[in-house]
This record gives sequence, C-alpha cells and structure tokens, in this order.
Amino acid sequence: MNFASIEMILMITLASGVLAYLIGKLNAKLGSIVTILVSMYVTIAVIYFGYNGELVITTEYLPLVTFKVTNIGLFFASTVTFVFAMVSFFNPFFIDKYKFKALYSMLYIFSLVGILGVFFTDNFMTLFVFFEFTVWSSMFLIPMGKSTKSTTLYFAMSTIGSFALLYAIFLMRSQSGSFDIDQGLAMVSGAKATWTYILLSVAAFAKLGAFPLHLWLPKVLGDAPDPVTAVFSGGLEKLGAFVAVMGLVRLAPVSFNIGAIDMDFARYVIAFIGSITIIIGTLMAIRQDDAKKLLAYSSMSNGGYIIVALTIGNGIAISGALYHVLAHAIASAAAFLAIAAVARKTNTTKMSELGGMIHNMPITYMVYLIAIISMAGIPPMGGFISKWMIFQAVINKGLPIIAIGVFFGSIGSFLYVFRPLAALFLGQQLPEYKHLKEAPFFMVLPMIILSGLIIYTGVLPNYILGKINEIVVDLGATAVTITEYTITGFNGTIHPALISGMFGVGVFVAFLIFITFKKSKKVTLMDTYTAGEFIYTEELLHYSVDFYAPLERLYEKYIHIMEKTYDSIRNKIAEVGHFFKYYFFTNKPEVSVFWIVIIVSLLLWGESLW
Amino acid sequence: MLQYAAIVLIMLGLYGILTQRNVIKIILSLNIMEIGLNLFIISVGYVTDGIAPIMTTNHNTNSLIYVDPLPQALVLTAIVIGVGTTALGLAIAKNIYSKYGTFELDEMEEE
Amino acid sequence: MSAVLLIAVPLLAAFISILNKKLAPVLLLLVSLFNIVSIFFYSLGTITIGGFEAPYGISLVLDNYSLIGLIVINIAFFLVLLISYEKVKKVATVLLVALAGLNGLLLTGDLFNLFVFIEVSGIAAYLISTTNKKYVATFNYLVIGTVGSSFYLLGLIILYAMVGTLNMSDMALRISSEGISAANLSLPFLFMFIGLGVEAKLLPFNSWVKGILGNSNKLVGPMIASVYAGTISLVFGRILTSVFVVSDRLGLILTVILLVGIVAGETMAFASTKLREILLYSSIAQASLVIILFLEGITGWAVMMVIANVISKLVLFAIASYTSDELKTDEVDNLKGIFSKNKIIGVAFTIASLSVSGLPLFMGFVVKMNVLTSIFDGEDYLLAAVILLTSIVEGVYFVRVLIKLWYNKEDAKTINYNFVIKYIVSVLAVLLIVFGTYTTVLNDQVETVNEVFEIGGNE
Repeated sequence: MNFASIEMILMITLASGVLAYLIGKLNAKLGSIVTILVSMYVTIAVIYFGYNGELVITTEYLPLVTFKVTNIGLFFASTVTFVFAMVSFFNPFFIDKYKFKALYSMLYIFSLVGILGVFFTDNFMTLFVFFEFTVWSSMFLIPMGKSTKSTTLYFAMSTIGSFALLYAIFLMRSQSGSFDIDQGLAMVSGAKATWTYILLSVAAFAKLGAFPLHLWLPKVLGDAPDPVTAVFSGGLEKLGAFVAVMGLVRLAPVSFNIGAIDMDFARYVIAFIGSITIIIGTLMAIRQDDAKKLLAYSSMSNGGYIIVALTIGNGIAISGALYHVLAHAIASAAAFLAIAAVARKTNTTKMSELGGMIHNMPITYMVYLIAIISMAGIPPMGGFISKWMIFQAVINKGLPIIAIGVFFGSIGSFLYVFRPLAALFLGQQLPEYKHLKEAPFFMVLPMIILSGLIIYTGVLPNYILGKINEIVVDLGATAVTITEYTITGFNGTIHPALISGMFGVGVFVAFLIFITFKKSKKVTLMDTYTAGEFIYTEELLHYSVDFYAPLERLYEKYIHIMEKTYDSIRNKIAEVGHFFKYYFFTNKPEVSVFWIVIIVSLLLWGESLW
Repeated sequence: MLQYAAIVLIMLGLYGILTQRNVIKIILSLNIMEIGLNLFIISVGYVTDGIAPIMTTNHNTNSLIYVDPLPQALVLTAIVIGVGTTALGLAIAKNIYSKYGTFELDEMEEE
Repeated sequence: MSAVLLIAVPLLAAFISILNKKLAPVLLLLVSLFNIVSIFFYSLGTITIGGFEAPYGISLVLDNYSLIGLIVINIAFFLVLLISYEKVKKVATVLLVALAGLNGLLLTGDLFNLFVFIEVSGIAAYLISTTNKKYVATFNYLVIGTVGSSFYLLGLIILYAMVGTLNMSDMALRISSEGISAANLSLPFLFMFIGLGVEAKLLPFNSWVKGILGNSNKLVGPMIASVYAGTISLVFGRILTSVFVVSDRLGLILTVILLVGIVAGETMAFASTKLREILLYSSIAQASLVIILFLEGITGWAVMMVIANVISKLVLFAIASYTSDELKTDEVDNLKGIFSKNKIIGVAFTIASLSVSGLPLFMGFVVKMNVLTSIFDGEDYLLAAVILLTSIVEGVYFVRVLIKLWYNKEDAKTINYNFVIKYIVSVLAVLLIVFGTYTTVLNDQVETVNEVFEIGGNE
C-alpha cells in the first residue's frame, strides 16, 4: 500500500465512487458530499505528490495497466482535477434536482477516474480504455439536466472521436509494434503518419468541440445539469487538448510543404479549421439567448485557439496553448459556476428572463466579471497572457488568413462575453427576483478560489510558465524566455505584473470618480418602456433580446448548415436501413429464396469468368 | 442423365417457391425440391452396371462393382427428414387456415 | 461416461416426456441441469459411434472448442428455460429435442450428421416459434430454413462426390493431400455457406428473422437470438476453420456480402423504432461480424465474441420480450421510463447493451479490442474502418434506446418482473463486467481454442 501511487489513488477513487452510490442511496446529499471529499483528495494528492516527484507508477493490482508521470500529464491532471474539485462543491446544492441522485455522485467520480487514467499512462490501450470510460460515465450525467435529447448527440460525436483515436492507435501500433505512446508517436512514418495526424486531430476536435464536430458542445452544455456543464467545459473538454498535443505537436505529417510559410499542408488545414472554429464559435455565441449556450460557443472558439497554437508548434505557441488550457479551464469553470449559482435561484439561464442580479448576488457578479475578462483576453487576467503568446506565434509565423480568425475571435469575444454580464447581473432588477439572496457560502467559496487563480495567472504567470516550459522542452521545442516578472515573445517583452499594476491604478481612479460624483438614479423596469400603455409581450422589450440583431442578420441564414448536415446524415442512415428492410425483410417466404438464387447464380456466373 | 433430371426438379421446386402464393403449393414445391435433391444424392453414388451393395452368397467376390452404399443411406435419412418437415409444414398450414380462413398468403392480413 | 450422453439423454427424455405431459417440464429442467453438470466430467477426445472407426463411421469430437461451446450453450439454454418456465410447459418435448440437436451440432465431427442435427434443431426451432402464435412467420421460417438446409445438403453431396468422405478432419486432410483446388471447392462451399447462413441470420438469407424475433415472446426471443445463434455461429466457425480453405477471391466476395450484412443490420436497427426489432437487426450485424472473423482466421476471439453475444443477447432479448409480453407493445416511445421503476432490470439491460456496443469495463470491449488488434495485424484497414464506423451507429441507437427507457416526462408504465428474470439478468450482467475486467480468463480460453486448430486443423 503506497498512497502516493497512481494505482492506489485510482482505486480509492473508483471505490469511493461505489461508496458514493451506496451512501447516496441512503441520503442523496451525503452521497454528493462524498464527491467533494473524493475530488478534493484526488486534486491534492495529484498536485502534492506530483509536483514533489513522489508519484509512484508501479501497478500491483490492475492487470495490463501501466502508468507514467509526464510533465504534460501532470499539468493536465492537476488542472482538470482542480476543476472537478471546485465544481464538486456545487453538487450538494443541485442534487435534489436530479432523477437518479445516487447515480449522479457515482458517475461524477467515475469521470474523474477516467480523466486520471488518461493523463497518467504511457500505454495507448490504457489511454483508450479510460478515454471511453470517461465518455460513458459522463454521458449518463447529461440527461439528468433539462433535456435528454443531446445525450445521443454527445455519444455520437464522442464516439467518432474515440474511434478516430483508436484507429490512429492501431496505425501507430502497426509500425511500432506496441501500444507504447512514446514509441508509437516516434516511429510512425510516411503516409501512416499523415493519417495518424488527421485521425488524432479528429479525436481532438470531437472532444474540444471544434468545427465540424462542434454541434454537441452547445447542446450538451445547454442541457446538462449546471455543475456538469462546468465540468464539461473546464475539464472533460481538455481531454481533446491533451490528444491534440499528442497528435499536433508530436507528429510530423508528410503531405507536402507549403513553401511560402514553411508549413506542412495537413498542418495548415488543421490550423485553418482551428481558425474557422474560432470564427463560428464567436458568431454563434453572439446570437445566443441562453447564457450557458453562449459560454458553450465561447468554449468552442477557445478550443480553436488551442488548435491553432498547437499546429504552429514552436515554443511560444505551445506554451501559449497550454497556458490557454489552464486559463480557459478555470475561467470557464468560474463563469459556468456563476451562472449555475444564478440558475439555482431563478431556474433559468435565459438572459432575456433575467436582470439586475448584481443587487442579489454581488460576489457571484464579481466572479463572473473576472472570468469573462479572462475569457476575452484582457489584462490583468490569465486569458490575456495566453492569448498574447498565441498572437505572437501566429504573427511571427506569418499566417494572415489564420490570424484573421484569431483576431476576429478576440474582438468578437468582447461582443458576447459582456452580454450575460449586462443581461444577467446588470440592468434592471426583475420584481420576481427581488427577494433572492447571495449563494450559500460553500458555493461562493470555490468561485472565489477560482477567481483568485484567474487573477494570479494573469498577474504572476511565471511560476506556471516555468512548469509549462518543462513540458515544452519535453516536446522538443525551445523554452520560452521568462524572468521572474517578464515574458519574452517574438517581438517584445511583457511585464504582466506591471500591466496589472497599471490596470489596478486605472480601476482605482475609476472608483474614485465613481464615489465622488453624483449617484445614478434607479428606475424600475416598467418605467423605461411602458409610458402608460399596456404591454402584452413584455419579454420582447427586454434589452438583451436581439441585442446584436443587425450583425446577426448578416449570417443568420447560414447558422443551421451544420445541424442540417448532421440531420441529413442521420436521415441517410435511416433511409439505408429502410431500403434494406424493404428489400430483404418482408413477410413473404420467397424473398430469402430469391436472394439465395440470385447470389448462387451470380457467383456461378462469376466463377465461369474466373 | 439422372443428375440433370435431379437438377431440373430442384429448379422446378425453387421456381415453385418463388412464384406460388399458396401455402399448400409452397409446401408441394418444397417437396419437389427435396425429391430432386434425393435423386441427386442417389445419382452421386450410381455406378454403371453396378449391383446393390449387399453381401450375399451369390456375390461374394471382390471383382464385382457395387454402387456406393453411402448415398443410399444418406438419402433414407434425408427422406425421413423431408417427410418430417412436410408434416410440420402442413400442420402450420392448418393453423394458418383456421386463423385466417385461407391458404393464400396474399389474402392474409398480418403486419 | 461419454459425451454422447449430451445428445442421447435429452432424446431419451423427449420420448419419455410424451408419455407424461405433466412431468415433461420438470424432466426438461432436470435433463438440462444434468447436461450442464455432466459436461465437466467428460474427457476430451473423439468418440466413435457404433464401432466404426473415424473416417467410416460417425464420430463426435469433444475438443476444447466444442467444450467451451457446450458449456456456454447448455448453461444459456438452462437459463432461458428458467426465465420462460410457464411458456416451456407446452413445448417441453420440443425443447428436449432442441437441446439434443444443439449439443449434436456442437459435438459432431461429420458433415452429414451435422445436416441431421441442423434439421433436428431446425424443426424444433419452428415448433418453438409457434408459441409466438404468428403462424405465417413460422411458415416463412420453415420454408426458408428447409430451402437453406437443402442447399447445405446439396453442397455436401457435391463435396462427397469430389472428396469421398464426410468426416470433417478426414475431409480437410484429403482436400489438402489430393490437391483439390480452392476454385473447385467454391461451389459446394458456397451451397453449404448459404445453408448455414440461413440459420445464422446472414443478410440476404434471413428474412425469417423479423417475423420470428420481431414478435418473440420470452421463450422464443432469448432461445433463437442467443442460444441458437450462438450454436450456429460456432458450427460455422468449425467448418470455416477446420474443413475448408476459402480461396482468396471467394473469401473476398463473402467478406463483402457479410460487410453489407453488418452495414445493413446496423442501419436497419438505426431506422427501427421497436425494441425487439432494434435488437434483432443488431444481432444480424453481430452474426455477420462473427462469421467475418472466422473467415479471417481470428478464431479464438471470434469464439469469445460468440460467447459475449450469447450472454448479452440473452439479457437483452429476455428483457425486451418479457416487457413486450407484459405490455403488448415494444414501441420504444411507449416504453419510456420503464427502467426507472425496475432498476435491476434496467441496469442489466444497460450493461448488456453497452457491452454489445463495446464500451470499456464490459466483456464486449475486451473482445472488440482484441479483434481489432488481430484485424490490424492482418493489415485489413478497410474492414477495421467499416467495423468502427458501424459501431458508431450501433452505439448511437443503443444509447438512444437507453435514454428513452430510463427517462420519462409522464408516468411510466409499471411492469412486475418476476424474481427469476431479475436474478438471471443481474448475474449475467455481473458476468459481463467480470470478463470485462478480469481478462486473463478470456486470453487463456482464446489460446486453448487456437491450439485446437493448430493441431487438428488445416495449414
């Protein structure tokens, strides 16, 4: 029994998943408290043992499973388990809403087990097993939320991803002769390398929710229970980034080189799709009314950033991508949790049905504000650092078309991230929500921790960047030059702490102005529009309805293209099924006999030709 | 020659199954096919001028040519099985008739 | 004791059971139990029937291959009897004959004897299917089954004319020693393939399946879809691995036909809305896949896949048929939420379907991974791609069904599942998890199966 061994942590977690189920059967709340304890335990164990180099990788009980601690695995594992731990504080407050309460706690912990297994293995088969394990345990979390419809879609897209991964694994195995990850990635070559590259990209796309496999993301995040949403966006999606690092950085496809930019064609295509993902995510986020869907599309566009950065693949790009993984994980977890906190009180996440929550939940408001500042990439938050590095890499590489996408996404995010802020928290308070109070302490606590981290990553990124530099060196790229307070990019050096200081001064001045000048006068909601007339469709007058209507009109014709494509694929499959049913399965005995005769005569005829 | 006759019978049976819509006629076609098949089996073991493969005091030298006894044994089994199937088929046909009042498959209303 | 008892005792009991109708079901259970117990006492080897030595007389072969099959099929048979005990009473005699036929199919080492057992078990199956009370469907089954077995016989006789023996191992030896070309063998092989294909539910020969399984009650469903399907697949496996060498071209053609079968099966299941139809089309795809594996020579894991299918189809069809027996409907939309009130049944169904669609922790996953490994070892990338693509479709319709059966907006219908089916399906579900996590057992069995064919098979 070695408590620092990954196997032990895994098995304890798995066992406590079952325990959470049993306890949850007795008392649902207690079961969900187990999820907090377990995910806290896992997080602390991973981070503490991991960064002290004490994690033991030997396996004594699990057959055929081998572990390995890599810098990148540790980085991802600590990020994701941390998100799980933070989100788990929300479980006890939401557990009453679920249909299968005990099962929820169990599956929540099971997904955590899957995550751990994926990040800490040196064997592709183990990786795939845990990957799929995560898929099915998280899959059954989704239908406990608002609607059950998106579950199948999630499964379909995830399975496309996992099977692409599996096929790639076998392609690599055919050349390296084993399931070893390092060997596999190192030894695959020729056309197989290109195929592996493409397949791994598909796997990463499916998990990250990148175009054209993005459809599940907004639907699932819109439908899933609120805490699960945060886990998906902040945690499970990052599996895709992990696979992407494996495929996009560690593999060299050999299609043909585009001379002008010194980049392989396959690589460029993936980068291009990444930038399309950014654009589509941004455009779709702009027109959402549901705050959770809005954030889902923003997650999608952030996935695009990671993909673009990883395809470029130099030191700055990789550390930008990895930093973005971290920054986006905590920012989106914080944002989703904030919205979950609101949704728990109001039972809706539609922006047009909300307003003025700042008066009820000021802390939640602050948390959300900090999170979206980070997501929009504004200093002094973590998202700024990562986006700055990604911009550096894209500009330096000279990829104008892709840069358009990247910058568009950045500017576009200003358009959408502030909408929930304005609609949910600011604006006029709706009368029916007047009596609501701030979320309970144990919901506020994880949100505050996350916000603290967001600011920390923005002000003092260098400690974490140092860790990332180790990964970058592992991946064979040159480490980014960092000093205690500065980061050096291709065309200059930034000083995050200084920027933050300036920012702080700015905020302070603004605050001074705010308190010295005259207070604004409050008006009630109805004062603004009604003017004595009776209004039938009050909700249409909410200012967040059709907020960007002129912009949306430019592209609203095209938004359903992908959805229609998938619908038609589904219909095609069903049509093929009906076709076979019609021609082979009637109630007439002669049908089979007919086909027997046909096949025999065809083959006999063919045989005479042989 | 016998083979050709057998194959023609098998074809006839198949044709019957493909074209007939009457339960009894289909069973008849099955039977025709089976008879063709049995003939075919016998024909495989047939040896020109061979005698029955029975050891008697009259024929106890090895110089005589026997027909192959195995197909004859097989065909007995096949016939028995064929009869069994036919009987079962007719029993089902009776059930069909008492349920639908007709032997015509087209006139039955089933999903 | 000799393994012939596995066939003889049920047959004898069948005759006795005619004398006393009341005793028949008890006798059936006893005999089935006796079979299970006695399997473990037989020693491996070839059993000569009637004193004629191997190539001349009929012989039964009890090797590790048939042993695994016998254990699985007899246990599955017994479990089906327990699940559907009240239906069993009417057809006890028939079931005894079926048991004899199934064991015979697995044991026999003689191709003509195989034909006899196909017919014996086939006729029993027609009679079992009459308990559905869909006589036209049964008639359909009878006609197609008879035509199929006639084709098998035709192919067999042509083969006999060419090779001059009916014993399987002798046939394999003579084919290689006399240098009969694969092209010449393809005609009889094709006929036999079609004959067995009818029973094994391969695509163009299987229109009977919809009528039989689509209306199946809790006896017919698991019996035909699980026990019969498993047996026929194993028979197929023996013929493909130890008797024939399939020429490349014919192998290719058959693989293509079977691949179409997989695609058709999965898409049809995708297009269906009735629970039993979804399951039956899915099992068509599974059957085709197993045969492909035997064709490709991945014998050991193909056997494991058969076993996984027997277990999971037993669970799935038992639950689906039981449910539709009770509610008189199997339209998935009408069954919404039934599992939320019957958790044990629901969990078992979930595990079985997740195992079929190949998700980890369950037996289906282990089998699928090893099968894919073998396929990739054979560098058959297209086949692997088709299998994976169809698996996506398969997973999607299973998940769709599962979500519907677990969640509901309105009140779900209530069903009382009796405790027998609850116990059996949960034990089987646990078994799927055990095999899915403790894989050493499977690996060992695969090796013993593969050894059987390395020694006695063709090279």
